[in-house]
Amino acid sequence: MSKFKKFFYSQKAAPYVFVLPFILSFAFFWIYPLCSTITMSFQDIKPTGAEWVGFANFVKLGKDTAFRTAVMNSFEYMLLTLVLLIPFPMLYAVLMDSRLVKAKGFWKACLYVPALTSVVISGTLFRLMFSEYATGQMNVITSALGLGTFKWLKVKATGLSALVIVACWRWTGVNMLYFISGLKAIDTALYESAEIDGANAWQKFRYVTLPLLKPTTIYVLTISVYAGLAMFMEAYMLWAGPDSPNNIGLTIVGYLYKRGIAKNQLGYGSAVGIVLLVIALTINIIQLVLNGTFKKEER
Amino acid sequence: MAQTSSVNAKETMGMMAKRRILTFVSTAFFAVLSFIIVFPLLAGLIASFRPGTELIRRGLSVDLDFSTMTLANYKYLFGNNADGQRYFMWYKNSLILTAISVVGTLFICYVVAYGLTMYNYRLKNFLFFLVIATMMVPFEILILPLYKEMITIGLIDTMAGVVLPGICGASTIFFFRQYMTGLPKELLDAGRIDGATEYGICFKIMLPITKPAFAAMSILTAMGAWNNVLWPMLVFRSADKFTLPIGLNTLLTPYGNNYDVLIAGSIFGIIPVFIVFLCFQRYFIEGMTAGAVKG
Amino acid sequence: MKKKVLATLLSTAMVASALIGCVGGGQNAPASDGAVAGDEAAAGDEAAAGDDAAAGDEAAAGDEAAAEEEIPTSTFGDPNGTHMEMWTFVELHGQHYGNMVEKWNEQNPDRTIEITCTTYPYADMHTKLLTSLTAGTGAPDICDVEIGQFPNVVAGLDTWLVPQDDNAAPYLDTMVPARMDVYAGSDGHYYGIPYHVGATVMYYNVAAMAEAMGASQEDIIAKIDAVVTWDDYVALGQEYLAAIATEGKFWTSVDTAGCDWLWIAMAEHGEDWTGGFDGTANVQLDSVKKMLTMQQEWINNGLAQVSPDGHTDLEAGFQNILDHNIVSFPKAMWYMSRFTNYMPEESGNWYIAKCPVFEAGQPCSVGIGGTGTVVTQQAGDPDLASEFLCWAKMSEEGEQLIWDNLGFDVCNTALWNDDAFAHDDNNQYNAFFINYPYDVLYSIKDDIGAVYTTAISPTINEQFCNITLNDILENGVDVEEALQTAQDVVDLEQ
Repeated sequence: MSKFKKFFYSQKAAPYVFVLPFILSFAFFWIYPLCSTITMSFQDIKPTGAEWVGFANFVKLGKDTAFRTAVMNSFEYMLLTLVLLIPFPMLYAVLMDSRLVKAKGFWKACLYVPALTSVVISGTLFRLMFSEYATGQMNVITSALGLGTFKWLKVKATGLSALVIVACWRWTGVNMLYFISGLKAIDTALYESAEIDGANAWQKFRYVTLPLLKPTTIYVLTISVYAGLAMFMEAYMLWAGPDSPNNIGLTIVGYLYKRGIAKNQLGYGSAVGIVLLVIALTINIIQLVLNGTFKKEER
Repeated sequence: MAQTSSVNAKETMGMMAKRRILTFVSTAFFAVLSFIIVFPLLAGLIASFRPGTELIRRGLSVDLDFSTMTLANYKYLFGNNADGQRYFMWYKNSLILTAISVVGTLFICYVVAYGLTMYNYRLKNFLFFLVIATMMVPFEILILPLYKEMITIGLIDTMAGVVLPGICGASTIFFFRQYMTGLPKELLDAGRIDGATEYGICFKIMLPITKPAFAAMSILTAMGAWNNVLWPMLVFRSADKFTLPIGLNTLLTPYGNNYDVLIAGSIFGIIPVFIVFLCFQRYFIEGMTAGAVKG
Repeated sequence: MKKKVLATLLSTAMVASALIGCVGGGQNAPASDGAVAGDEAAAGDEAAAGDDAAAGDEAAAGDEAAAEEEIPTSTFGDPNGTHMEMWTFVELHGQHYGNMVEKWNEQNPDRTIEITCTTYPYADMHTKLLTSLTAGTGAPDICDVEIGQFPNVVAGLDTWLVPQDDNAAPYLDTMVPARMDVYAGSDGHYYGIPYHVGATVMYYNVAAMAEAMGASQEDIIAKIDAVVTWDDYVALGQEYLAAIATEGKFWTSVDTAGCDWLWIAMAEHGEDWTGGFDGTANVQLDSVKKMLTMQQEWINNGLAQVSPDGHTDLEAGFQNILDHNIVSFPKAMWYMSRFTNYMPEESGNWYIAKCPVFEAGQPCSVGIGGTGTVVTQQAGDPDLASEFLCWAKMSEEGEQLIWDNLGFDVCNTALWNDDAFAHDDNNQYNAFFINYPYDVLYSIKDDIGAVYTTAISPTINEQFCNITLNDILENGVDVEEALQTAQDVVDLEQ
């Protein structure tokens, strides 16, 4: 009994008891499947059994034009979202944080609303709006602007635009909120002293806001890179599936899904996953370097 | 821009006029932006009052002709028919799954985070590294081995099979840990002096002061569970266990005139999330932006 | 150093928490958050449609069925009998088994069956089935498998599925052999039991043509009946277009997301791009080139448009037909149910005829689409399941219900000229069309070719529906060039 009681008071045992659920979950739901995936990427998995094929899956990936398209699409999408989803939300945040805007809470809520909506629902709505018929909303708008109608989701340029529009729709508000919380952390005294030094609005932004927003910016940059590369559902919903004309909507994760799940090619699909994993880890390392240099500057 | 903190009294009339114009322009800017952002959802809302097949056949566009609007879709949805009953069964399942996910995830994550914060021991940093490592792998990669595993250990088609793999949400643990790092550790010692067990301290002393973190995380977890599809879809087999997104997805086929239910059902399905959001906006933003500033 | 590690940890954590936080949940990365499933359904349909057949030989009146059904799970038969699980992706298919199991129990009181049918979305069901078969547990006793997905499932041969040769034997002499063969495994055993032939025919909107051309319907039908070759078909089309002379009206629409036209071309030339079960796939076939070159011409000279959304078997396609933007198109017989379900106002306007050919004397049809029903090795009583299945799908009783309720062109050729069966005016399809569908089917009885669905088929279909057809028909890429690209992709997979 006393042993039992002692256990409850033991400061040595307690942390392990507390983290036990994590250790179990980690072992069963992470390490094990991850190892399976790595193993499978070197196998050809047939119904009749798995067969070791060495690097054959990766060699095939190198020759696979669809995979190349997928990687290109993911990177193009990622870069475009970076260009659109960092500067603009930052400006909106600065504006929102000023005293010039009335009814802030309401606008913030409106801008955040897309992030609440399931991709299924928003994706379906956008697909219907980007319909190729003259009666689709986007074509109604472009016709009104005198641009004529487009087969939005059949052509690379407009297809990519559609994806980027959806991304901006979903994430502008979210990124803006990140920047607002970053701005809140800036000491207002700095602005006051800048003002005393005779700085104008632009100078204050350039020399106070921008440098001090750097941690937030790096953070938003990193998540945008990640989210951009891992994008799948938006494309999946816009084209109502993993297939799109000329693969304009195919992304890395989309290809992984298509091979691994839809086609049941576990080995090949896993190889795609491993490539993605390597890309993600590389970006992590870059992120570390960025963050590391940043740390040096500050301290 | 305009981060002025000078005193208004000193401003001249001209400056005030300028300021008023700027205020108007800025506010109008956000009004326009908000309208653009909300527009697709409004379009969906309007569309839910029209026959669904029209959308698929001709695309979605906003047509404010009220005379052609009808409540038929909603009447059908709430009506005493098989589709309506099915819809509310999905709704109920989603609510149950969400409740279980939230309670389970928060409890486990709190405990784990507690173990990772409140004690000093050799493996602590290593374990925390593992928590973070789990966040670096896209979930899709793990789905197939996980699915097989669920079958092997008999969790297929069960609530546990859906909830367990995600119950140690790394981001939730991370958030709790971050929050708890800021709590006074003296409370632990005080508790020990009072003769509380380690577990008593965890649940009776620390848990109550972690409430704000619980609030922020419960909302995010609930939202995730409510909208999650892929994994529940693979695990649930019985049609009577389908959740709302899975159910709505079953309607997404070009065959079968189910778009009426689909559009109305989708719109009705986001309403609870909106209401919760409006009530707890602060916590949403807190939970979401927690990682952005610190670190 | 330690700080650096911590920095890594934190930065990574930030990334991750944001990723997850944004999407708003605990569990998964953002990509997984959304809904794969439904789109899967839609995806599946696209793929399948592209594939050779829509997920759909079915669909007959999905909505009505839904209204009658309580939930998509339904249990039929004798609770004390042998229990079987059955999965399908079309609710009506499940009902068919429900009807048949009641009859079975009456006839076999000593071997009664209880069957639970569950309807899943198309892609989800196939994914689930494959994963369960791979895992060796969790699969149903009986399962519908769409033909486009069949190669993935039949790849497991008798480790996954039960060969049904013995139980199918009593019915084989009247079945269309090609339809049994498409569901055979590489070991030659029959693993799937078909619902229908899916014979491709030409649908003509006689009413619209008569109105535009100022002729009586009889004259129009005579003209249609006189069409033998594609040249005749084009000539009739030009006559129609000259008469209607309206922008936005076309003779037909060509598909960028479906290979039906190419299948017809191959069947006419007796070619098969898969090369059969042991062959090597070759998409650079004469028939394919001819068809695509011809279609490219049609697009250029305004005879045809590209089908909205890629093919005619989608909502947009139905609308296009309802708007009379096109007045003729080839499709399998199962498309009849699309008319009755989605275009009921077209009743009495349409005429079914055989497809044109490149050279007189060629076969003029091909079996497209289909669903093979399999019995899995995980079945509780595989033999009983197989016997019941063969009876439910191939006996005359079964075939009668398939025609009446599902609207398929059944595989039992003995029924095709059976007056009571084929000329029943109470049948909704007989009532809908100007002529009796089975008369057309009977007249092309010996002209129905087959293109096989093998392991390489999904790759070919995907390449054509995503890339090749778009390149040729939308972007004007040279046929030879596009086919070479396609062949390169196909070669990588074989």
